[in-house]
Amino acid sequence: MSTRLDGLVAALLADDGRAAWPGAVPDRLGRMLDAMPSAARAGVHGAAAAIDAYAAVRMGRRLRRLTPGERERVLASLAARPALVPVLDAVKVPVMLAAGTERMLHEEPVRAPSAPPFEDPPLDCVPSAEWPDRSTADAVVIGSGAGGAIAARTLARTGMRVVVLEEGRRHTTADFARRAPLGRFAELYRDGGATVALGNPPVVLPVGRAVGGTTVVNSGTCYRTPGHVLARWRETFGVDLADATAFAAHLDEVERTLRVATQPLDVLGRNGRTALAGAETLGWKAGPLRRNAPGCKGSCQCVVGCPTGAKQSVQLSVLPDACAAGARIVTRAYARRILTDPDRSGGPRACGVGVRRPDGTDFEILAPLVVVAAGALHSPPLLRRSGLGRHPRLGRNLAVHPATSVAGRFTERITAWQGVLQSVGIEQHHDDGILIEATAGPPGMGSFVLPGVGRALRTELEQAGHLATLGAMIADRPSGRVLGARRSVLRYDLDPRDGRRLLGAVEAMGELLFAAGAEEVLTGIAAAPRAGSVDELRQLLSGVTARRLHLSAFHPTGTVAIGADAQMAPADPRGRLRGVHGVLVADGSALPSCPEVNPQLTIMATALAVSESAAAGGPG
Amino acid sequence: MTAARGTEFTETMVGSVRLAGESGTRAMRLDLSVRAERLMLPHRTTDATLTGRVRIAGLADGRDVRGELEISPIARRRIRYRLDFTADGRRYSLDGWKSVSALRPVKSMTVLPFTLLTDGEEAGHGTLRFPVATALMPFLGSFRFPRAQEDAAQHLAPRWNGSPGRTEVWYTTLTDPKTRTGVWLHHELTAPDDGSRPHGHGWIALFPPDGPVEHARFGPEPWEPDPVGFSMDGVESGPGRLRGSAGDFRWDVTERPQGEPLFTFPRWSWRRPLLPAAQILPSARASYTGTIAYPGGELHLDAAPGASARIYGHGNARRWAWLHADLGGGDVLEIVAAVSMRPGLNKLPPLTFLRLRRNGRTWPRRAERSAVGWAGLGRFRTRIGLPVWTVSGTAGLRRIRVEVTQPRERTLALDYTDPDGGAAVCRNSESADARVLLERWWGRWRTEAEWFLDGTAHAEVGDR
Repeated sequence: MSTRLDGLVAALLADDGRAAWPGAVPDRLGRMLDAMPSAARAGVHGAAAAIDAYAAVRMGRRLRRLTPGERERVLASLAARPALVPVLDAVKVPVMLAAGTERMLHEEPVRAPSAPPFEDPPLDCVPSAEWPDRSTADAVVIGSGAGGAIAARTLARTGMRVVVLEEGRRHTTADFARRAPLGRFAELYRDGGATVALGNPPVVLPVGRAVGGTTVVNSGTCYRTPGHVLARWRETFGVDLADATAFAAHLDEVERTLRVATQPLDVLGRNGRTALAGAETLGWKAGPLRRNAPGCKGSCQCVVGCPTGAKQSVQLSVLPDACAAGARIVTRAYARRILTDPDRSGGPRACGVGVRRPDGTDFEILAPLVVVAAGALHSPPLLRRSGLGRHPRLGRNLAVHPATSVAGRFTERITAWQGVLQSVGIEQHHDDGILIEATAGPPGMGSFVLPGVGRALRTELEQAGHLATLGAMIADRPSGRVLGARRSVLRYDLDPRDGRRLLGAVEAMGELLFAAGAEEVLTGIAAAPRAGSVDELRQLLSGVTARRLHLSAFHPTGTVAIGADAQMAPADPRGRLRGVHGVLVADGSALPSCPEVNPQLTIMATALAVSESAAAGGPG
Repeated sequence: MTAARGTEFTETMVGSVRLAGESGTRAMRLDLSVRAERLMLPHRTTDATLTGRVRIAGLADGRDVRGELEISPIARRRIRYRLDFTADGRRYSLDGWKSVSALRPVKSMTVLPFTLLTDGEEAGHGTLRFPVATALMPFLGSFRFPRAQEDAAQHLAPRWNGSPGRTEVWYTTLTDPKTRTGVWLHHELTAPDDGSRPHGHGWIALFPPDGPVEHARFGPEPWEPDPVGFSMDGVESGPGRLRGSAGDFRWDVTERPQGEPLFTFPRWSWRRPLLPAAQILPSARASYTGTIAYPGGELHLDAAPGASARIYGHGNARRWAWLHADLGGGDVLEIVAAVSMRPGLNKLPPLTFLRLRRNGRTWPRRAERSAVGWAGLGRFRTRIGLPVWTVSGTAGLRRIRVEVTQPRERTLALDYTDPDGGAAVCRNSESADARVLLERWWGRWRTEAEWFLDGTAHAEVGDR
């Protein structure tokens, strides 16, 4: 297999042997694929095999044995067929990820950290291998992400014995500082980051898996829940905890915990400053984002764990408080099912959790209160395999904030990966459901897919330092579903209105980049990759649909929504799952509808509200 | 509501425990006796209490294990053990459960992972296993489904439903251990066949060891219903208390039941009165404290042994014999042998109902066994006569022979009147002698127990 990957990488990156780094890419790609789900792995290997076979038929030799020029001709003939372009793009993404890392390592070797390594606050973490087979607690929290952490802290502070289950392991800031970004990537993300919602177009939906959940790998952007969203939750969904005053108090509490503040300009980076300049030229409403990263050094590695400990992910901010209050965290612990006592007077009641260790052995924790905080993509399957998935709306109502990105080429060097990863918010079109954020990942890890293959791609890669990238996410209709019980299968059918919004977002981002002085804009659309002016961009976009976009999403919510209508909401307005006593929903899945902004604060404030309500009202 | 039957069984598990701070494991063994107040059915949750013994190599050998068991293999898929014991001067709690899985039924029902706690802190964890090869048969063989403890008072309430032609009796016999005087208190409701008004009557009789027997009657008076027992014109026989007066006799005695009810006749015949009559003891034994005044003296009772009995039926038998023998140490022998008045049945030899309550268990296990045997084969035999009557019979590996002697001078003859107006004569002695021989087959018949009651047996023989 590896010979096929060698050939594929050599062809895509137009490896002529003059640079050393492309030679190291296949190995890194192979290791990365190993962490991915088997379907994704098989897809990449299958595509590599097919391209190899095509080369063998056309040129008489396999890709690896062809000269650079011959490989270029093979790829050019494939890329000339419009139907094959999406396939080539899909294969290109993991290759670019590996290539970006290798190129960076060769050109800018990791410097030994000058400052002493940051010491994380202490956590009471126990690997599942050391946890006894039988134990009891007052509450078990499944998931240590934004929702689970705050629920654990709230409950532990009331004197309850709390155990937090986390499928991933604990990563310390010192670990992050020591290792290359891509080396962390596969471990920090579920399915190696290759979680995809099926649909047309498919949506890449990476979620974190570590102590701290997705907060370890998010950008740290902290938006307060907009007032109109809270009003909708209260009025349409009957969610009393969304009361503006009470919710504001919860948001304040969360902001204090996360030390949220507006990002100072000093480490913003040229990517963010370019966006600000563009917005200023156009007179658009924009500014540095509010973030939970006091003292951010602009490492631009938020998505693979902050290497300086500046970003107050919950394992640095909330979980230490929870552990100080007595909570314990069991790592590498996969919640197999919620245990229920079906014959209790008053109806079925949750009584604990059955958990699996990585070696396949099981353990159980009995507790009268189970808090589900496995994330919007994994809470519904957990409830289904626990026999609690009978509500017809469970797993539906999935909103994801579909996002796309656009890059602008500038004459001067931007070096987008130096500075804050997500730095500036442009809220000019927020009322239309479009939120633009200047976002640039470490090389290869951004969601922007460079156009072309072979020589053209290699050129783009080598000139990536001149690109500024913007991302836009839209407030979407909840048109997704989480299927499955043993593992989650995602389905997301982009609503036509949301498709139009996305194309509008591409146009707005292009306009901003041109206003900031971009020579050309790369749209990320394979069929119409470049525009030299705003008019040209508009013309290009008039000929494409949203299905041509590369979509990614980072904010799945709503799959176990809370609400007053028992027919529509699997959980009641206080977050208690319907149909069973003692199960609390305290993660993104509880949100009644799309929050329209980066949801960390919203999820944490909701989890705080429901867990305070549960602590006040007992496990019932 | 109290369940009709409970569940008892024993269970042994062996395994190991790793104590906190130790690198190696210690062998461990748990021997448990489990008792539930309700019938254990697999589809529901049964809570039980457990006692037993725990052994941990080098740490504990305690017989003070107390705890709870939650048995729910299907509903909750869990069998949870929570027990406390003392070891090395510290109080330990063991908390563990078998997590039942349909995919691995044997493993999941036999493996018990647990955590040891002391002062709420984890002190170790380990796994116990039920050794199927050696422990399964003893485990299955240990299952018992004992009847739940019954309240004696519930059997004292009147049974009469207003039908004509019924008779109902509350009678108490006791022996004063100091004076060896026997006492007989008889309370009777008679609802005549002709539908005329029911009446209550009765008597008290004293049987001094040297004679003569003295007695006095009360009633007949019109019957007034009492929800808890017999009550008529100042004479009461109800839960915990007997009092009244008759002639020159006055009595006021408290009764303390000691022991489970004893169904001399099959239990179903008391619940559904299909036989001509049935007799039970609401409590197999009772003790009596109080005063009985009689012409010329007063009897002060202090925990005098005896028993109250109940009869409900159509009338007296054609011939009968009755024995209540307090054998000491909580053991009791109760015999009723009777020939029915009913045509056809009156040609049969006496049906013998013999119940021996010994060490808390009743032999024979079924009341029908001594009366009808196996379709008549092996039934117990009674030779009714006076002054001596005998009962003998074999059931299982045991056989019994009872010889009752009612000396004339210690016997009181009284006339009974049936609801149909028929007359019977009863010859009663509360200071009779009895010899009871219980043997067990072990290659040959060997004496298992033998009792001699010298003037402390309560007996009666009746005929027409």
